[in-house]
Amino acid sequence: MINMTSSGSGRRLEAWPDLRRDGRRAAGTRPHQSAQLRQRVAKSLPVNTSGEGKFSVVTDVGEAADNPSVAQPSAAPPSLGQAAAAGLRQPIVAILLLIALFTTVSGKPLDGFLMLAVATMLISDAARSRRQAARGGSGASPSATTSATSPATSHQRGPRRLLAGAARLAAGALYCVIVGSFRRYSWPATASVVVFGCLMIAIGWQGPLPRRRPLTGEPLRRAWLWAVVLVSGGLLELASLLQQPHLTTDSYAHPTISALTDPVLASFPGRSAVLGGWLLAGWYVVSR
Amino acid sequence: MNSRDATVIGYLAVLAAGITLQAVSIRRPDRLPSLGRVLANVMQTRTGRVGVVVAWAWVGLHFFAR
Repeated sequence: MINMTSSGSGRRLEAWPDLRRDGRRAAGTRPHQSAQLRQRVAKSLPVNTSGEGKFSVVTDVGEAADNPSVAQPSAAPPSLGQAAAAGLRQPIVAILLLIALFTTVSGKPLDGFLMLAVATMLISDAARSRRQAARGGSGASPSATTSATSPATSHQRGPRRLLAGAARLAAGALYCVIVGSFRRYSWPATASVVVFGCLMIAIGWQGPLPRRRPLTGEPLRRAWLWAVVLVSGGLLELASLLQQPHLTTDSYAHPTISALTDPVLASFPGRSAVLGGWLLAGWYVVSR
Repeated sequence: MNSRDATVIGYLAVLAAGITLQAVSIRRPDRLPSLGRVLANVMQTRTGRVGVVVAWAWVGLHFFAR
């Protein structure tokens, strides 16, 4: 990931190791040579220049981190089958396919279909990236290859920002009230949730990759504790599901989470409150 | 204690473990990452980001759509 900003007298250049190496090499050179290096880096990347003396460059190397072949193009591009198999080996794809299977057999084919569709798109995307990388391309899809931060949005402050926040809050509250008034599993509720969910997935797919320092050291080594909690919850839910008299019939003795939440979701205020929590969680996730 | 109680206690134990981890991560961020940091780390790749957003969408579909 490369971030290069220039604002007034301040100037900062951050780059991955190869460019840092270049930077260190440049530090031992004369000023005009250092300026030439900066110009070379800036010319080799798409740059958003809107605003006075401010520009920002963000390139996506997330795929390269996932897939070494992205960073190091090989001579022969993999076959379509090999590229698709590489996409299929991604843990998230496997998880989505498992969710698709279990939700379909438990009587929710729509959930299963959507999970399957997203898993298929991820496989296709990964296969395309792998083949492009092998041919010497960047390997990242155009939607996420670059994401330039507009100074106009990054410096959105004051009343405009407050107004935008208030408008989003009002729209969210309106959504909760309207969709919460629909009976669960009715077609208006289904359509509203499916459309909104797909919209957010599209935003997540297209959205800029977050530029954050990756976890390292002790926090990274202890991240497995979160996996234990999430997997334990999933296994408990799965055990309850499998102990039901039928996959589509709830069990009093072995309730799933959705069976336990039925009383809350039976009422209009309960549905609206849960929808509000769902929207807030979605906003949090998309803004990461 | 019947099997229903045991199941509910199991869910509550998982929830309590999550809350405890989050509380510890807030007190000692240098030793344990918060759930937000773990999510942000997972979401640094497109696949990870889409996977997390889909998991969120699935929750809504699961409870409201059929």
